Amino acid sequence: MFTYVLRRLVQAFFVLMIVMLVTFTLPYFQPGGILAPAFAVLGTHATRAGVHLWGVQNGMNHPYVVRFWNYLVQVFGHFNLGHSYKQNLSVWGIISLYVPRTIWLAASSLFLTIVIAIPLGIFQASRRNSVADYAATGTAFVLYGMPLFLLCMLSLQAFAFKWPHLPASPPSGVSPWAMFTDPVGFILPVACLTLAGVAALSRYMRGTVLEVLVQDYVRTAKAKGCSSRRVLMRHAFRNALGPIVTILGLYLPGLLGGALIVESVFNYSGLGIQTVNAATTIDIPTVLGITLLVSILTLMGNLLADVMLGVVNPRIRIEGSSR
Amino acid sequence: MTMLPEPAVATIGFDEVNLDAPFNANDAIVPMWKQRLRIFTHNKLAIASVGYLILITAACFIVPMLHHTNQTDQALALNAKWNAAPSWSHWLGIDGSGYDEMGRIFYGGEYSLTLGILAGMITIFVGTLYGMVAGFFGGVVDGAMMRLLDAFLSIPYLFLLITLITIYSRSTTFLIIIIGITGWWGNARIIRGDALLIRQLEYAQAATAMGASKWHIIRRHVFPNSISNIVTTGTFAVADAILALSALGFLGLGIQTPQTDWGTMLQNGTANISNGYWWQIYPLATIFILVIVAINYIGDAMRDAFEVRLLER
Repeated sequence: MFTYVLRRLVQAFFVLMIVMLVTFTLPYFQPGGILAPAFAVLGTHATRAGVHLWGVQNGMNHPYVVRFWNYLVQVFGHFNLGHSYKQNLSVWGIISLYVPRTIWLAASSLFLTIVIAIPLGIFQASRRNSVADYAATGTAFVLYGMPLFLLCMLSLQAFAFKWPHLPASPPSGVSPWAMFTDPVGFILPVACLTLAGVAALSRYMRGTVLEVLVQDYVRTAKAKGCSSRRVLMRHAFRNALGPIVTILGLYLPGLLGGALIVESVFNYSGLGIQTVNAATTIDIPTVLGITLLVSILTLMGNLLADVMLGVVNPRIRIEGSSR
Repeated sequence: MTMLPEPAVATIGFDEVNLDAPFNANDAIVPMWKQRLRIFTHNKLAIASVGYLILITAACFIVPMLHHTNQTDQALALNAKWNAAPSWSHWLGIDGSGYDEMGRIFYGGEYSLTLGILAGMITIFVGTLYGMVAGFFGGVVDGAMMRLLDAFLSIPYLFLLITLITIYSRSTTFLIIIIGITGWWGNARIIRGDALLIRQLEYAQAATAMGASKWHIIRRHVFPNSISNIVTTGTFAVADAILALSALGFLGLGIQTPQTDWGTMLQNGTANISNGYWWQIYPLATIFILVIVAINYIGDAMRDAFEVRLLER
């Protein structure tokens, strides 16, 4: 088990290095080259000397390889993600301010998505081709086909303006604990993100459980005289858990993308809004920092899920180490 | 979505075989594509989806040409009556910038659908090639390619899209390319799984033993046998590309004015939602959602059609 975790950690580290290399290299290809942000910072009328000075100040005059090495040392040696070009803050400052807010939003939605989508998948698979199954599939299809921002806007219009029972926006302060001090404001955003998640995942959940239900061990369990409830919960669910966790791991980046849209619609300043702002103002250090952090979060999430599965199901551990 | 064969479908065509007819080598075997087409056409909803998509696509390319308003003229837009309700001359009303909503919906559809299909094709091509090479060669090549893929998969897609588009270019061509080449990661994973499996099967090994080149095995054995996943994931990729474009449209990064796309139009419509201008949202929203649902439904039906267990032996 220990070697498995170690092996996965080393792999994750290499993946992270690739992410850094890719994201670090991309700004080189923008129109105007690596000095393009200078004009965003100094204004469009910046002189050549000014741009040059800005480049020297930010270490842009070094060759690519030296810059990348400096960036690695800066990040891994000093845990310093740099300083934002546009906001007078370190990138860590921005991240520590907004990441918890996005994480609470995404995590509560992810929790609700799991709690709803998995039982729904089991239910649909066990009542295959019934009216309820078709109704659930149809609803999921429509929700999946609807752009998330439209879902948000329509529910906002319905529940905050037409029948004003819910606040239109979460509290606008920057407190990371807003979700716990004022949960009512989060009902609409979390509900929208959850609905989108359930719509995206329920198709896979149903399929996964269906695949398990035709396996021999399910037939054996039925033949032994297990109640259908026990077959579903003990045999089908336990064995479907593996693929489900894999799907959830792949869903994490999509969840953060959805959080970005939800944040924009409900005016909840979090990581998503910060990314959009940083990208539109070519604030490269902020974009790099956020991308890196989000990648680390995703990788850790996947790793955690795999390790948990390995603990629950020894078969996966063996498969993993033989790979 | 339905990954399992339905027992009722498995007997399709069985009753059509005439046992008393004299044996004729030519009609003994129904060609595979015909069997697949038959399974596909037995799915009424899939046929309806195909019909709907053809109708909408045709309308998108014909209506803007024939419609009595100009879809892109900004001077005309300024003269028109903003936000006017539907009337006989403007069936779906007028939007917030003065464009006729109906002409604009189908004009925007040209961009959304074209982008979806082209980006989807890039996705299919790159994802298939990458997945096959990784899965077929295996070992170190596979390991390296999959770690690279893990790196891509750990970056949230929408964040990457926004960054690339704002930093590089907002042209339509770039949008197509960038949505295409950021969409293939999931596909590559699935195709790679197929390739890994198929190269170990007896017929691939037999071909190797007979001296077939690797390229030949990929082309003649691995590719045809993973075509089911290629086609179905490709279909979903088209829908996902259209959805991605709509998300970008919401953020103001979609097709730039005076051209438009459905996401940008929906965003403009929902900005007016509190004023009760329903004609700026619901007709387009209905068309949009049905397009995505139809594409997904066709993908599902194609998966059934390619499901070998449903074919006659």
